[in-house]
Amino acid sequence: MDEKKAAQIKKLETESAALMQKIREESDIKKKQKLIAEREKKQRKLTAIRNNRILSREAKRDLVAYSFIAPNFIGFAVFTLIPIVFAFVLAFMNWDGSNEITFVGFDNFMKLPSDTFFVAALKNTMIYVVGTVPLTMIASLALAIVLNQKIIARGLFRTVAFFPYVASLVAITAVWSMIFHPSKGPINYLLLTVFGVPQENLPKWFSGSLVLVTLILFSVWKYMGYYMVIYLAGLQGISAELYEAGSLDGANTWQKFKYITWPQLRSTTFFVVVMLTINCFKVYDIAVMLAGGSDGKLSTSATVLVYYIYQNAFNYWDLGYSSAIAMVLFLIVLAVTLVQFRYEKKLEA
Amino acid sequence: MKKKVLSVLLSATMLTGLLAGCGSDGGAQTSENTADNTQTQTDAAADTNTDAAAETKEDETQTDAAATDANAGDAAGEAVTLKWAIWDKDTTPYWNALKEAYEAANPNVTLEMVDLGSADYMTVLATELSGSGSDFDVVTIKDVPGYATLVSKNTLEPLDSYISAAGIDLSQYGGVDKQVTVDGSLYELPFRNDFWVVFYNKDIFDAAGVDYPTNDMTFEEYDALARQVADPTFGSQIYGTHYHTWRSAVQLFGVLDGQHSILDGEYDFFKPYYEMVLNQENDQICRNYADLSAEGLHYSAAFSSGDVAMMNMGSWYISTLISSLANGEYDSSLCGNWGLVKYPHADGVEAGSTLGTITGLAVTSVSANKDAAFAFVEWVSGAEGAKVMAETGNFPALMNDEVAGIIAGLEGFPTDEASKEALSVSNLYLEVPYAENVSQINDILDTYHKSIMNQEVTIDEGIASMNEEVGKVLGQ
Amino acid sequence: MSDMVDNKKYKSKSRNALIGKILVYVILLIITIIMIIPFLWMLSASIKSDREVFMMNPFVWIPEVPKWDNYAKIWTKIPMLKFVENTVLLTIVVTFLQLLTSSFAAYSFAKLEFKHKNGLFLAYIATIAMPWQVYMVPQFIMMRSMGLNDKLMAMICLQAFSAFGVFLMKQFYEGIPSELCEAARIDGMSEYKIYAKIMLPLSKPALSTLTIFTFVSTWNDYLGPLIYLKTESKKTIQLGLKMFIGQYSSEYGLIMAGSVLSLIPVIIVFLCLQKYFVEGVASTGLKG
Repeated sequence: MDEKKAAQIKKLETESAALMQKIREESDIKKKQKLIAEREKKQRKLTAIRNNRILSREAKRDLVAYSFIAPNFIGFAVFTLIPIVFAFVLAFMNWDGSNEITFVGFDNFMKLPSDTFFVAALKNTMIYVVGTVPLTMIASLALAIVLNQKIIARGLFRTVAFFPYVASLVAITAVWSMIFHPSKGPINYLLLTVFGVPQENLPKWFSGSLVLVTLILFSVWKYMGYYMVIYLAGLQGISAELYEAGSLDGANTWQKFKYITWPQLRSTTFFVVVMLTINCFKVYDIAVMLAGGSDGKLSTSATVLVYYIYQNAFNYWDLGYSSAIAMVLFLIVLAVTLVQFRYEKKLEA
Repeated sequence: MKKKVLSVLLSATMLTGLLAGCGSDGGAQTSENTADNTQTQTDAAADTNTDAAAETKEDETQTDAAATDANAGDAAGEAVTLKWAIWDKDTTPYWNALKEAYEAANPNVTLEMVDLGSADYMTVLATELSGSGSDFDVVTIKDVPGYATLVSKNTLEPLDSYISAAGIDLSQYGGVDKQVTVDGSLYELPFRNDFWVVFYNKDIFDAAGVDYPTNDMTFEEYDALARQVADPTFGSQIYGTHYHTWRSAVQLFGVLDGQHSILDGEYDFFKPYYEMVLNQENDQICRNYADLSAEGLHYSAAFSSGDVAMMNMGSWYISTLISSLANGEYDSSLCGNWGLVKYPHADGVEAGSTLGTITGLAVTSVSANKDAAFAFVEWVSGAEGAKVMAETGNFPALMNDEVAGIIAGLEGFPTDEASKEALSVSNLYLEVPYAENVSQINDILDTYHKSIMNQEVTIDEGIASMNEEVGKVLGQ
Repeated sequence: MSDMVDNKKYKSKSRNALIGKILVYVILLIITIIMIIPFLWMLSASIKSDREVFMMNPFVWIPEVPKWDNYAKIWTKIPMLKFVENTVLLTIVVTFLQLLTSSFAAYSFAKLEFKHKNGLFLAYIATIAMPWQVYMVPQFIMMRSMGLNDKLMAMICLQAFSAFGVFLMKQFYEGIPSELCEAARIDGMSEYKIYAKIMLPLSKPALSTLTIFTFVSTWNDYLGPLIYLKTESKKTIQLGLKMFIGQYSSEYGLIMAGSVLSLIPVIIVFLCLQKYFVEGVASTGLKG
């Protein structure tokens, strides 16, 4: 053992000396620094061995840190990272879950443009996102600004606004489909009796072209409380002095919003918009529950990407194709996020 | 180091793929192919590939060992336990009746029922059977699209050799077996056979002073009758007919002439029936599809609320009606006085043609007791099983006069002659016959059925889309 | 002269302020009504008979004879108790694991130096932007091959280790001055002790926020259980409720009673923790 140790020490010493020599000869500063770092590492190792420590201080430090991360990271790696890699691979395969996997290159992707249901799903998802993101953002910002003022029963109002977010989707969609029931629901009853809409023209909220509107309205209603809280947090970060200064300069409410609140909330808005976009692209359960009827199947007017992913995977067992659609979903989300990132960067500069 | 982490991840991914792919007989081969494919995909993983290959070998030996075990357990006469996939154990009376009768006749067999629930049953079953780890011997087949999926995944055992060895005469199933034959092989034997009839509420007809429907109606007569008995007055609405949201309830009137099938890829024959139903809807003779779909109204709720004069539905509803009326779940003043008649028919077609749905049993390809499993399947789909089914108020696939007599004699079954006669079927067309891509075809037809019924598109546009999309699937 | 102008200005200003205040309250009232009406409808319908639910003329919130037995019947019509049991178990285990492992990992990311720190954290961040649906199918195949199909365990594995939790807690810990930790280290405290004795007690707002998020999303999850939990005795309350709606479509009173029951636990958790909530979101830097 001792012999081995001695040999190790010897080896490190010579290496370290050689490095020293190199450092002296090196003229390029960057390379020099690199070499110096390398030598220091060797030196530390040397002291560690001399002092009879099995692990260097750095290794020990790393181990402690890793022990903190490990419980979460192992779960995260196994149940999230690996499936993600798997999903990428699967998109180029043909597999039904039982028989042989075969490599098919880009075949799955080539099929997409001529697939009516995919195109419909993509279109509907896009319309849904384009409708929901700005509406939710505006509604939640407005609500946050109002609820950030000193008003009576502020806490109560905040709680109420957050309620729909907390409520379970199954329960609340059941209520919505009763309230918006095409022939018996109170909304259409009001339209009929108060606004005099003739019976045959009463909107069918859950079919045809209206269904996406209903989905958008529902999402705004359900999620604006959540984003309101994020905006509230953002508003509380704006220092009161800015507003005082604004008042001294004679700014009116709109000007204060335009020149103080809005710019100060830029990073919050960025976060809200990114999260909203990601979440909207994931839409599935809202569509199935509001527009799926008793069998939970979506027609071309309401189908969305995730529904089609599910359908291909668990009904047709075309796992490769379903992964290919998932990849398209991912690439769109990624692209939108990157565009927003660049826009944010540009504003910052 | 970064590269190494990546390659570890990749190889772990592949390994999972390999493990998952090893379930079927060709497991070992499959895995090697996978490894090859993945290799070409990812250069980074090259150095860890040998590990993956080693794992594959290990897996192979495990599969072999399992196979040997399986053979050892096959000896006849020994105690065997068969694992059997079913749904809704508590609300479906015949599972237990079949189990008890079979175990009494074969004391060495124990049946272990596993309830997978009726919602999404076939999806759940397909999940259970794909990949490794499944230990079902006998599985119940609920519908044909799901059957097609299981067959294409090689999870079911072809039964032909067993059938010929047991000398079973398939002609007793009246030809339905041919509609689920796959490339000349049969993978299931039907034990339950439901067919569609028209249920009607006698009280409503009496109150309106209209004659009851008959066992020999053309569609024109049926439509006229519905219009006669309906009452659109708001508040005390009576619907002449009710169509459940399934596409079978409307478009499949079209296949009753025996000339057409949903596998045709050309669906213009649906048109007259969509026209009939949509016209009824516009005249408030039947409930609006958009409403039904929004509230997800169940057909039993529609009929039992006492405002529906006629409803076309499968014969499975007979036993539900009888038992729900008996236990008080349905109000007998609303729907207690019911009867049934045969399906209406097109002009010039003989009465008694109707739609059917079969429920079958299949043996899994991974079963370790295939002979014992088939013996059970044979028994259930044979005469003894048929009797048990009929006694619980259900229609066995092996239908004959005796069986029909048992059901018509059940307490709570309508006493009029027409209702008894309605149980005899001359031609039975499966709602969904087998085809390779039947799942997709089924979904396409469902989708455009929805669009047509919601009046999002015209009938012609909807049918044109069906033709086009199914054409694509058939052309693949 | 100038005094008068100022005075006028002031007066009109205060009048504007008053109008503004009124306007704010009117808007708030309308929004509150929109937000709360579906819940009132739900409560009202849950004690009505099926025929009364859609009665519009006259419409009453509380029927003359409230059908309280809807709330009793729901437990026998479907195995509601089993569903509640499963969901409670699942939610508690997931929330607990999530809080524990996330705060643990986040401490390391926020306060310790180690190799590959940035790389590892990047892996977390990258997956936040990745919709779960993108990899749900491979994940399912993998879980099935591990024998986790149709096991509550699968749902736990799926939801307990989210990147979001780590991200949220890390943002919060970074706001706590490092000097606190340094001082403790000089006193000879081990990192584990610093985490347990110093950091954890300080992170109430963040933990509350994460609890609300995790609890709500686990309790209300639908697609996950739909894919993984197949046998009736393993289903969660959301699946059970959906199944019930499918089977008893026209028993509106019962459906609404079930819905009300499914809301109660989340609302309790939310009300208990909400006083930390805005503070929590603010301090975790979730605002961006």
